[in-house]
Amino acid sequence: MISPRTLRNLRSELRRSALAKLGVTLVVGIFLMAVFAPVLAPHDPTDQNLNDSQLPPLGFSTTENRTTSEFVDGEVTIVEEEVTVNATAEHPLGTDSLGRDVLSRTIYGARTSLLVGVIGALLAVLVGVTYGLVAGYYSGRVDDGLMRAADVMLAFPSLVLAIALIGLWGRAAIRIPDPFVAAGITPGMPPDIVLPGTVVLVVALVNWGWFARVARGEALSLRSQEYVTAARSMGAGDAFIIRTHVFPNSVTPILVLATIQVAAIILLESALSFLGFSGATLSWGFDIAQGRQYLSSSWWIATMPGIAIVLAVVGINLVGDWLRDALDPGIEQGEGGV
Amino acid sequence: MTETLLSVSDLEKHYVDGASLTDRLLGVEPDRVRAVDGVSFEVQRGETLGLVGESGCGKSTTGETLLRLREPTGGTAAFDGEDVFELSGPELATFRRRAGIVFQDPFSSLDPRLTAREIIAEPLVVNDVGTAAERDERAAELIERVGLSTGQLDRYPNEFSGGQRQRIGIARALALEPEFVVCDEPVSALDVSVQAQILNLLDDLQDEFDLTYLFIAHDLSVVRHISDRVAVMYLGEIVERGPVETIFEDPAHPYTEALLRSVPRADPSEHGRRVDALPGDVPSPRDRAACFRAVEDHPYWDSDPLAHADAD
Repeated sequence: MISPRTLRNLRSELRRSALAKLGVTLVVGIFLMAVFAPVLAPHDPTDQNLNDSQLPPLGFSTTENRTTSEFVDGEVTIVEEEVTVNATAEHPLGTDSLGRDVLSRTIYGARTSLLVGVIGALLAVLVGVTYGLVAGYYSGRVDDGLMRAADVMLAFPSLVLAIALIGLWGRAAIRIPDPFVAAGITPGMPPDIVLPGTVVLVVALVNWGWFARVARGEALSLRSQEYVTAARSMGAGDAFIIRTHVFPNSVTPILVLATIQVAAIILLESALSFLGFSGATLSWGFDIAQGRQYLSSSWWIATMPGIAIVLAVVGINLVGDWLRDALDPGIEQGEGGV
Repeated sequence: MTETLLSVSDLEKHYVDGASLTDRLLGVEPDRVRAVDGVSFEVQRGETLGLVGESGCGKSTTGETLLRLREPTGGTAAFDGEDVFELSGPELATFRRRAGIVFQDPFSSLDPRLTAREIIAEPLVVNDVGTAAERDERAAELIERVGLSTGQLDRYPNEFSGGQRQRIGIARALALEPEFVVCDEPVSALDVSVQAQILNLLDDLQDEFDLTYLFIAHDLSVVRHISDRVAVMYLGEIVERGPVETIFEDPAHPYTEALLRSVPRADPSEHGRRVDALPGDVPSPRDRAACFRAVEDHPYWDSDPLAHADAD
């Protein structure tokens, strides 16, 4: 389905645009990070060590004034001393309040975010695009009925709807065995990838309406194209026409929307984890929530996963822009014979 | 020896404006657009019937309704003895194989995501004709027949010129070996130099495959070139019918005459001739009264054209 022409456009746009390069680098980086998390992470992200709690990241060694009281020979002496908290190469991004390695947790957090973002967006595409194409292709009353229902879904504030649905359905966590640990390559790492199943369903339910709207708009304009009339004149059924003509011609805007929605879903997942609704305990949002309490003394606990979210969302949005710029003129460029 | 292939009588296609709820409650009669209003004609097997008229007179609607691409609001169309509008299921599928259509816009009529091969073979896929290899072979045969080469089969529509695209559209229309083809302004979007090539191609194909054409156009010289008989449409009705020479040499209806007069001719003595254009715009078919007024006010309706020169 990807024609050589499309590939050519993608490549030339990538060569032209520095932002597209940045976006692709970020997304590929985060993707690799998620896949090879057990290999890349220096520590088990769930390993606690209270002796090494709240260690600062490299380059941020701090000195603190500590006041301790000693009871010596019936007298109380107040000792004021300067203590140096040294950053260690063991924990390049520091540790959190329970002494867990922040770098390892940030690497592992990419798994939750990407899994929820990609699977959630795929589900939303599946439901929303089918729904929207049917509404737009048949138009008229079918369209009115279907799209009003979709509008009702979109009218709810997404976070509130998500929390309500999770409250209703509970928090189901699906444990997928980690292939690296199962194969014995990285013993001692967490044996499972925890996929917050309810969250995936909920983010898809909250977001499918956007896909329905875009697909419906495309179908509505494509149905009056003469090649659709031509297909009907040869006896093609509605299902055939939607499959061969309407869907392939509406792929570009859907693809662009899908990338942007992956980013939106990652944010929503982080928000749900932050609020404690997701059930995932190894996710960027969850770590931000944990680190919030220590923001004044140990800023890095919340900041590192925060930076990771920003990079992921910016990267995915840049990829979306790249796809939009590269694919849109793909049809119009090079009108033959002019 | 002539045999009627298609016989249309009193064909009607009215569009009713969506009546709002208040209109319905108040019992207001919704607006009716009589796009096609009681059209009757016959097409003989093997001939080309030209259907002419200005934009918006309902000629394309007539063509599409005949092929069941729009549902008529009245009338009958007997195709080889069977009423097209009564067909359903397998009979409709058979009719769709026997009747094809060539569209006006060679850009919108080809799916930009499909290759020429896929476009030409689409009717075969839809009707489940042959194996994949046989379809490929047929596509190759057809593309050569319409004057392109098999090396162009894997190109996309935007790699072709307008004329080449129209050839692909014609190849697609011929894939199922139809007997009857509606040509809906097939050359009006093309350069003049290309128009003649496409018209000649259509002519050759007609002889080769015993095709019957309903040729819809607004360009009178094109219609004169290709048609055996002509029907002139105005505001959803046929105002005059006849053999092509009679219509062009001796038009009976004032509208036909006006239409003929408005055609610019390639003749040096024509230089500077004032074309007596029809005054005003085509009245909207939505407004029946204006339509009748337009007919009555027609400068050619009575003998003194100047009497109505300022009518608009």
